[in-house]
Amino acid sequence: MIKMKNRQILPVTNADEINQLLRRYGVKFGVYKNGQFKEQFFPFDPIPRIIESEKFKVIEKGLVQRADALNKFLFDIYHGKNIIRDGIVPEDFVYISSGYLPQCEGVTPPENIYSHISGIDLVEGGDGEWYILEDNLRIPSGASYPLIARELTRAASPDVFSENGVVDNRNYAKLLKDTMDFVNRGGINAILTPGRYNAAYFEHSYLAELTGAALVQNDELYVEDNMLWQKTYSGGKTRIGALYRRISDEYLDPLTFNSQSLIGIPNLMEAYRSGNVAIINSLGNGVADDKGIYYFVPKMIEYYLGEKAILKNAPTYLPFYEEDRDYVLKNIHKLVIKDVAEAGGYGVVFGSDLSEEKLADFRKTIINEPRRFIAQEVIDFKDLPILENGEQVMRKADLRAFVLSGETTRVWASGLTRFSRNPDSFVVNSSQGGGFKDTWILSR
Amino acid sequence: MDTVTIERKSNISTEHSSRIYWLGRYTERAFTTLKSLERLYDKVIDRDPEHYKKYLDCFGLNDIYGDYKKFFRSFIFDKDNCCSAAYSLERAYDNGIVLREEISTDALAYLQLAKDKLESSENTPQGLVVAMMPLEDILYGFYGCFADHVYNGEIRDIFFCAKSVERVELYIRLKYRSEKILSESERMCEFLKRIPENTPYRYNEKNLEGLMKMIYSKEYIGRESEAISLIARLFDGGAI
Repeated sequence: MIKMKNRQILPVTNADEINQLLRRYGVKFGVYKNGQFKEQFFPFDPIPRIIESEKFKVIEKGLVQRADALNKFLFDIYHGKNIIRDGIVPEDFVYISSGYLPQCEGVTPPENIYSHISGIDLVEGGDGEWYILEDNLRIPSGASYPLIARELTRAASPDVFSENGVVDNRNYAKLLKDTMDFVNRGGINAILTPGRYNAAYFEHSYLAELTGAALVQNDELYVEDNMLWQKTYSGGKTRIGALYRRISDEYLDPLTFNSQSLIGIPNLMEAYRSGNVAIINSLGNGVADDKGIYYFVPKMIEYYLGEKAILKNAPTYLPFYEEDRDYVLKNIHKLVIKDVAEAGGYGVVFGSDLSEEKLADFRKTIINEPRRFIAQEVIDFKDLPILENGEQVMRKADLRAFVLSGETTRVWASGLTRFSRNPDSFVVNSSQGGGFKDTWILSR
Repeated sequence: MDTVTIERKSNISTEHSSRIYWLGRYTERAFTTLKSLERLYDKVIDRDPEHYKKYLDCFGLNDIYGDYKKFFRSFIFDKDNCCSAAYSLERAYDNGIVLREEISTDALAYLQLAKDKLESSENTPQGLVVAMMPLEDILYGFYGCFADHVYNGEIRDIFFCAKSVERVELYIRLKYRSEKILSESERMCEFLKRIPENTPYRYNEKNLEGLMKMIYSKEYIGRESEAISLIARLFDGGAI
């Protein structure tokens, strides 16, 4: 039994059975090691993260607020730039960001939505407070894993669900399809994948199946008359009105971005600029999920929505500011330093792990490239139990929540809880050996 | 629970039509390979231990195995042997994995199960035929699931057409009884005629006629490579 504040929860215990089912359904992710592609099964831990209904309502409200503000920020940055003019966000943080795309200046996405699917990473502190760790507004992945895990867990442990009152999370496909339909400019919905050897290929194909979108690759697509088309085997063509792309901005259109890209679609940007296809998520979102911009999100919420941020950021310092830099240089040994250009758990350094000599070198790097890093206090976040060889052990875990912005902004009542396999590690990314759990939102 | 009402698209992309076709061929290749090896195994265990060399002859291969046990191990489990069941199953999976939204996660799961079953059978103490039976059951399950879950008739037609083409080719190559070849060829014709015109898998009338003439008259006996060459040119879309 898992003890909650007012009740006890019957846990799922048949981990092996569920992992076998996950294997049967091909729930995998790809990794490249030494230049070789390998598919791995994503280890599932049956003990769910449980969030009580009242607590989730607060998180939900905070996430909607955050996603709405970030969408307004993106629109502003590529149009009026009021937030820069009003001195809320320094222009240095916008134009130096590798995620800022000048090619998107003045381009308005359908329904003014930039981030249709926002993957927002949170952790629960030891004090029960939730903190935002980072925003992922480009191609956040991971929703498919708890989605299929829930389907299989319900089949393998039905009693657990009849007893516990857990909100059904299998509406994700509906939320996603509604989002795609809302911005669709005429034609079918499609999911653009770089191919089978992409780390998240399982997710691409599973979401295509569940939403009824076509799973496509670039070589079957072309732009004609500023519209996006898919070639069919009978020599015809099908128009695509919404493209949920799982390819980074820089590879999407070789005529606009990286000319070396072999996985892009020439002239896609023209079709997008003409308003003939919605691209999900829109181009240029990287400027808003930049680790440096993260610092300013609570200010954005106040600026655009006139509200105080409901969810807190982890205490963050920008070495770009002299005062913060001084603090970081003095306290580096107890901070976590993040390279703003890195993702996937890479470029994250804990000062406590470094020798004096390495700390001294790092200080020099920060002085030379202050814009490249942010520093955060290490949050004493709550460990979660996992089953290891039949024993319960505690591990660090985060939560990726998914916020879908279409006609309204909605938070998926679930999320991907990732945990570290290594007892001493804070790094939970699957690419670095982490596993995942289901996230239960209690309905009562 | 909110669910999605899916309106399946009627148009299949060129890439996916090719994947569906090769999925049909490779699953059948794995299946018929297992079936024919079972028949062969029955012969080598007590009647003619060298009979496996005739199987190799059908593919124009030399005997690099030396005994039937090594031969069977390679032709069932060796993923690097392009004539093995394991190789065909891998290729079937490679094609199936990119078709999840067309063929369903349920159908795809059978391919994963088949791969897992084959791998776990490699060191089984059971007799080879008994060990392979569950794998054949899984493939039967896959075919059933495919027929049951895939609502797009064009996809089903391409798949079952490819499956039948592969079976005819292997039956000819492996010198199956002429009645079996004839029955399967007639079934293949039924599938071929369902494929729409102006698509890569629309049959070439002249070549199909030539092939069926050979089959009806049994002229393919002793001229197997000629018949197989006609199968390779069966489609308007080009050689396969």
